[in-house]
Amino acid sequence: MAKITGVMASTHTPGLLGWFEDAPKDQQEAARKAFAEMRDYMAKCRANVMIIVSNDHLLNWPINNSPDYTVGIGSEHVGPADWYDSWLGQKEKYHVSGHPGLACHIVNASARLGVSMSYLREMQFDDGISVPTCWLNPDSEISLIPITLNCNIPPIPTSESAYKTGLVLHKVIEEYPGDDRVVLVGSGGLSHEPGGPRYFYIDDDFDRWFMGLIAEGDHEKILRECTLERMEEAGSGGTAELIAWILVMASTQGPAKILNYVKSYSWRCASGWVVWPNVR
Amino acid sequence: MGNVDRVDITLPTNEMVFYVRRDRNLRSRWKHDRENLCREFGLSRPEIDALMGDPSPRTLMDLGVHQYLIPHILRLTYGETGMTNLHPALTAYQREFPQETSNAIGQSKWDITSKGDNGDG
Repeated sequence: MAKITGVMASTHTPGLLGWFEDAPKDQQEAARKAFAEMRDYMAKCRANVMIIVSNDHLLNWPINNSPDYTVGIGSEHVGPADWYDSWLGQKEKYHVSGHPGLACHIVNASARLGVSMSYLREMQFDDGISVPTCWLNPDSEISLIPITLNCNIPPIPTSESAYKTGLVLHKVIEEYPGDDRVVLVGSGGLSHEPGGPRYFYIDDDFDRWFMGLIAEGDHEKILRECTLERMEEAGSGGTAELIAWILVMASTQGPAKILNYVKSYSWRCASGWVVWPNVR
Repeated sequence: MGNVDRVDITLPTNEMVFYVRRDRNLRSRWKHDRENLCREFGLSRPEIDALMGDPSPRTLMDLGVHQYLIPHILRLTYGETGMTNLHPALTAYQREFPQETSNAIGQSKWDITSKGDNGDG
């Protein structure tokens, strides 16, 4: 059966690709080092599939019909979408193989367990999928299954519902026949308010509190304390992307290892990088 | 919930931006034929007025435009590349939300509100 061999999470601010060098050198170096550690972790996990969970950002679905979860079931994924090429500083598209078998299984098996996941054969990608793809899978050697979330349009899934979805995702992946080795990547957060009145705001008190919680590793406490309301206070319409971290955290046990944290006004977002040493 | 709760999910502008971003021809029409484009998507007069010329983030939010789409509207208008804090999309936010901006990046090299509009610190 397929096995989840690693779980990690990272922010995906577009500045990490599009205007990376606008940030101070120490912030650039922190990002480079953290992503390198994540690549090392993936190598140790011997993963052949990477499932990236990220905000859809109103990209693949119009506002009149935006599902909570969408799985990319195509045999190949190409990004970024044209509109984001220059924004993300990409001169060429990346082409990454998909895993239609496992992706379709996730959609169907999750439905049987009561979790509705929409799907698309062809998805568009912005920073949410492109930042981790470009930094973690630069040679496109690992197959990709993108899963996007609705983190923007009320009602946004709560931490609890995202965690429950994560438990279902874990179960259905590990009942998939074959020997696939899967790494889960939560993509999004930390505190930021893209397009809101506090566009430049970073709540580092919140960020350090949240990173402390996941370093502590008590899932029940995280679900109890890191509510949607608390995330919205720390930056509306952006911080709630941390439900992607909480979703993948459902496949872990115990503390996360914090690789780094950067408060970057250049990137208009706090950035953080973590791996979980213990998968359930 | 926060500012994102102010969105009017049924506002035609919110639908239109989704389609304009992903279509080269519609992006071109945004630049050269914006008013007719807006009419075809069924936008109201106040919505059209808010999108002509230099769109105001505050006015758009007040109309119910989703906050996440507003920087995209500004990128369509001013250019999509190089979204540093001195891109016109971001300086528009600085002008319209001076207090919020000052609390975050006041007196920094990006702050145009206390140093005039050259913004280079």
